[in-house]
Amino acid sequence: MQRPLHYPLANSDSLPRWRDRLLQRLPFASAPPETYQVHYYDSFDWRLFQAGKVLTWQQQNADSQLCLLGTGDDSTRTAIHLEQEPPRFAAGLPPGQLRQELDGLLDLRALLPVATIETRSLASRWIDKEGKTRLRLYLEHHRLVQPGGKYSTLCKRIRVVPLQGYAKTAKQVISVLEKELGLCPQEQDLLNLALASMNIIPGGYTSKLAIPLEPELRADAAMRRILLTLLETMEVNEAGTIANLDTEFLHDFRVAVRRTRSAQGQMKTVFPPATLARFRDKFAWLGSITSPTRDLDVYLLKFENYQNQLPEALRADLEPLRTFLNRHHEQEQTKLFRELQTARYRQLKTQWRRYLTSPLPKRPATGDARGSIGEVAPRRTWRMYKRVLREGRAITPASPAEDLHELRKSCKKLRYMMEFFQRLYPAKKIRALIRELKGLQENLGDFQDLEVQIHSLQHYSDQMKQEGDMTPRTELAMDILLKSLETRMQEVRDIFESRFQQFACKSNAKRFRDLFKPEPGPKITP
Amino acid sequence: MKVIACYNIKGGVGKTASAVNLSYLSAREGNSTLVWDLDPQGASSFYFRVKPKVKGGARGLFKRKCPLDDAIKATDYDQLDLIPADFSYRNLDLTLEQLRKSTSRLEKLVKPMQSDYDYLFLDCPPNISLVSENVFQAADVVLVPTIPTTLSVRTLYQLLRFCEKRKYRHLQILPFFSMVDRRKILHRGMVEDPPKTTSGFLANDIPYASEVEQMGVKRAPLATYAHSSRIADAYRSLWSELKTRMDSLPT
Repeated sequence: MQRPLHYPLANSDSLPRWRDRLLQRLPFASAPPETYQVHYYDSFDWRLFQAGKVLTWQQQNADSQLCLLGTGDDSTRTAIHLEQEPPRFAAGLPPGQLRQELDGLLDLRALLPVATIETRSLASRWIDKEGKTRLRLYLEHHRLVQPGGKYSTLCKRIRVVPLQGYAKTAKQVISVLEKELGLCPQEQDLLNLALASMNIIPGGYTSKLAIPLEPELRADAAMRRILLTLLETMEVNEAGTIANLDTEFLHDFRVAVRRTRSAQGQMKTVFPPATLARFRDKFAWLGSITSPTRDLDVYLLKFENYQNQLPEALRADLEPLRTFLNRHHEQEQTKLFRELQTARYRQLKTQWRRYLTSPLPKRPATGDARGSIGEVAPRRTWRMYKRVLREGRAITPASPAEDLHELRKSCKKLRYMMEFFQRLYPAKKIRALIRELKGLQENLGDFQDLEVQIHSLQHYSDQMKQEGDMTPRTELAMDILLKSLETRMQEVRDIFESRFQQFACKSNAKRFRDLFKPEPGPKITP
Repeated sequence: MKVIACYNIKGGVGKTASAVNLSYLSAREGNSTLVWDLDPQGASSFYFRVKPKVKGGARGLFKRKCPLDDAIKATDYDQLDLIPADFSYRNLDLTLEQLRKSTSRLEKLVKPMQSDYDYLFLDCPPNISLVSENVFQAADVVLVPTIPTTLSVRTLYQLLRFCEKRKYRHLQILPFFSMVDRRKILHRGMVEDPPKTTSGFLANDIPYASEVEQMGVKRAPLATYAHSSRIADAYRSLWSELKTRMDSLPT
């Protein structure tokens, strides 16, 4: 496949006039003008862009194609015919390579429209004596279709598509364009032009934290910066959460709320106590209103996995549970939608933003607020690390599940602290320690998830009986599923000890010490 | 990349029509597709309006003096390329014979294109020769257009016996009925009760149709000028069945 060459024209240029100039010099056959639209798609967190891919859906000449293209040096192209607009999830596409590729790239994320470009094109071909096309040339006027149906010109250009095996023809055409007509080829990416004209930065959203912090920054200023970023994460995920575009909007929204609450708790010595108390209550409420929908999301996402744990003959009997979960999900989603429209939620955001953007107090009430983040953050992180070790070492095979849950929460708090302040430490070292912690967290997370799932499924089973959704076979299927989950929970519990030992090993302890342990202060003699 | 050889020992059975029409359908679906016209008569090249000429000829290509990439020509259709025929292919057997490992030269030559194309169609010359052995070695599927007549079926059995003897274990031989004229008793009888073969006949057959002959006048794949015809439908069904059969092949 030969790469097309682009020759930009001025926006005021007339395409038919340019075509006449070309026809005077080159033996082209012209086709009537045509207009078509190309729709670009990506996930909210730009997974395709991050993977160097572009997904387009184009309707032209009664032909519709969904096409996944590589960018830069990646010239791969996977396409299918698709009459309808692409479905929201890759799983809705016909089976095949494209679905497989998109599934791998998007995972749980929905495909969302990014931009639509309308092109008016005057096509010409160089045809030889055999009637064979040797080169294609297009005069194009690209316009961005804005929401509300307004159009704005992106660019006008000549696009030359040389064909493999006909290099001489291409050379001849290029020579005319560049030497006789004085045009200059220029790489032009239409999607980038469209995004720039809409002030959208591709890859601009990520749920990962990477907040720039200077060690000498006052601790309260640093915390405000972190919390403001988290508030923005909540806000950008709000519309997708309300519209339930995919489960990750609510997930990211909740993570931002949880991180905020963790920052408020772990760095409490940085905030004025009365203000903090007021907002901690408000965020606790926000966390609680989002929980039921998320829980149901998780069960629905795990549903196929649940079915696979059953003998094949019983898999279909679990379907009433899916119906039950879907119905309750819909109810909880409606409740969440209402809660996020309330004045209470709006005020929370406004007041929190007002606090975070208000001028810093000259003489803060707490000592830590005045300290530098480079001093406060490691001290607080070290404190939490020691707590994790203490709690972990106290766990024995006979310890109740609550002890593991407590340790899990502490690990989460430690993880958030490490992520909030990661820019204060050498990237390689902090990332390696986060990885170590993640290994332990996975085990604890699996354990708690399974425990919660077992309790919830028991609860759902009772509820289904009350609501008349339960059949004897479904009850049997759910009992088998519960037993399978219990077995799995025990397996996860059995490997906790080795996972914890791995995390708490001497070499990790030294790495944590080196990074976070505060230097002993000077001795004060009376 | 799946390599599909359109092959029959017998000539005039619809090999080229299959290669051209099926490769076009493959490309239309967005698959990156290449056709190699191995027949010195150059019918595929003619249909695609490409001059039947390869720089360096068969010798240059197979002795690796001229890169295969340089021989590739884009057709008038998106995603569909062609390696044209060359008159020197008439001596391809002789050329191959002079080379070491003479039965796997074609396989070696197309291997580097694995990642460039999804499908490679080989439009093969009739006859059974060293070229055929190279084709069987390189191909995943041998698609055998078979006219429902005694002689045509006889050559199919010859081919099956040959492949069994040479133990081409990777190869799927898929015959299908071509140029079927249901007015003829012999054709009708054979299509309804096909001869027994290991992999069986494909369920879809290609009827005899004047639109196929028009390909020579239009110099284009059928679907471009007779999109809604019965014969274009037949090729679509055949392609769909062929893909299903190929999906069961290991990648």
